[in-house]
Amino acid sequence: MRELEFIKVNKSYASPSGDRLLALDDFSLKIDGGRFVSVVGPSGCGKTTLLRMAAGLIPSDSGEIRLDGVVLQNPSPKMSMVFQGIGLMPWKTIVDNVALGVQLQAHRAKLTEEERRLVDATLALVGLSGFERYYPHQLSGGMQQRVGLARALVRQPEILLMDEPFGALDAQTRTVLQDELLTLWGRVKSTVLFITHDLDEAIYLSDMVVVMGRRPGRIKQVLDVKLPQPRYGYDARAEAEFARLRAIAWQSIKEEL
Amino acid sequence: MTQAAPLSSGERKNGAQSVLALIGRSYYLVGTLSVVLFLALWQGVSMNVPPVILPAPAKVLEAFVQLTASGELVKATAETIWPFTVGLVVAFIVGTALGLVLGILRPIARFLDPYIFVFWSIPNIAWLPLFIAWFGVGNLTLVIFVFVSAVFPQLLTVEAGAKEADSFLVEVARSLGGTKREILFTVVLPSALPYVIAGLRVAVGRALVGIIVGQLLIVATGIGYMFQFYGETLSLAKYFAPLIVIAALAVALNRGVNWAEHVLIPWKTRAFS
Repeated sequence: MRELEFIKVNKSYASPSGDRLLALDDFSLKIDGGRFVSVVGPSGCGKTTLLRMAAGLIPSDSGEIRLDGVVLQNPSPKMSMVFQGIGLMPWKTIVDNVALGVQLQAHRAKLTEEERRLVDATLALVGLSGFERYYPHQLSGGMQQRVGLARALVRQPEILLMDEPFGALDAQTRTVLQDELLTLWGRVKSTVLFITHDLDEAIYLSDMVVVMGRRPGRIKQVLDVKLPQPRYGYDARAEAEFARLRAIAWQSIKEEL
Repeated sequence: MTQAAPLSSGERKNGAQSVLALIGRSYYLVGTLSVVLFLALWQGVSMNVPPVILPAPAKVLEAFVQLTASGELVKATAETIWPFTVGLVVAFIVGTALGLVLGILRPIARFLDPYIFVFWSIPNIAWLPLFIAWFGVGNLTLVIFVFVSAVFPQLLTVEAGAKEADSFLVEVARSLGGTKREILFTVVLPSALPYVIAGLRVAVGRALVGIIVGQLLIVATGIGYMFQFYGETLSLAKYFAPLIVIAALAVALNRGVNWAEHVLIPWKTRAFS
């Protein structure tokens, strides 16, 4: 269950000169339920297109994206997406921003008592108890992304789609949030599709790293990361296996630059 | 740092600067200083020109008290405030509603925009003879004139706000499963709210101009007519009384809009102050 599959997905965009620009070329990938998979690759390799299609935000030209065998077309209530730009509603308080995740999932403005408790529990889970009545602009970037994470997790998603969620944060905050994400993932057991341009981040977090080539977007290499989870339990970045995987992936990406 | 530390020569030299800094820290001190300096300047000028050019502040105050006591100023203010309020409130409601509709339903906007643009571009005062022909000389025409003055800034500002909802936030709402209707209520309308207030700020100013010009040219009553009457008869001390009323009204309205802004859009912070 919670299995996400891309089957021969194609996507092209119109370029200013009128040509078609291929973003994804017969892209196929199967992600087993509960796995944490990262996609890395040079900019313009189609990785964000991939995620936006999985989220149902843009249609594919051909091919199918399936969740447990069912073809996805529109944004699915079984999925949540976390954005690099976070996208909190500036006019909503923190608690209302998180509640929005449930409201738009259930198509109901009024939350049940149980859903209210779930919102509070999720805020506690990301360490934001006590900040319920704050507005987003009153929080730091790292705290805002915790809210973004809470808004995604409160939906109890089967699939968590993450588009460079920590890309705009400083190095320390990023490291802290990576560990927090692994902790949360250990609890919710969602399948995670994580887009990043940071190789270390991809290896540290994932069970599997997909390296994409330049346009047209195809999979260049798939790396299994066998380092034991949870990775924050020891210094995973210092392991020889970590260095080996990074060297392989870096070599692979370098050829594409 | 101790308060008793002796002044260095540099600090002593900057004595004038520290006085300025002290004044700058006190909001009320700056305000009071501004009023005192203004009155002193006014007094100084009035002592050197005939009263028919500029009466002394004391004479203006005397005239103000006299016109208030006789009831003339109070009556004129009442005659001004109610058509102003009716025109402004209707303009605010119609302008906001129509602005939202036009900002959201673009085909309707394409249909109506040319008319709105033409109506807005022509100076309001040019419509006045037409309004008088249609609605007669009376308070109805006055209210309509105030309405027309205020409705366009409200409408156009709100339309721009509704049109320019952040496309990223719309996408976020869509990814969470939001329907068109839900996105309208959770993203588009809230993001237009600051524009509703911005529109109101301009509409209030335009409505004030509208009411004064309207009273001058249509009904010959109220504050607007007092300007005309005491201006033409060169009773300048009395001429300043309605001016004070209008200034006070403008300040009060601006305070009101500030308060509404504070209450309705608490998430907005001032980037520069």
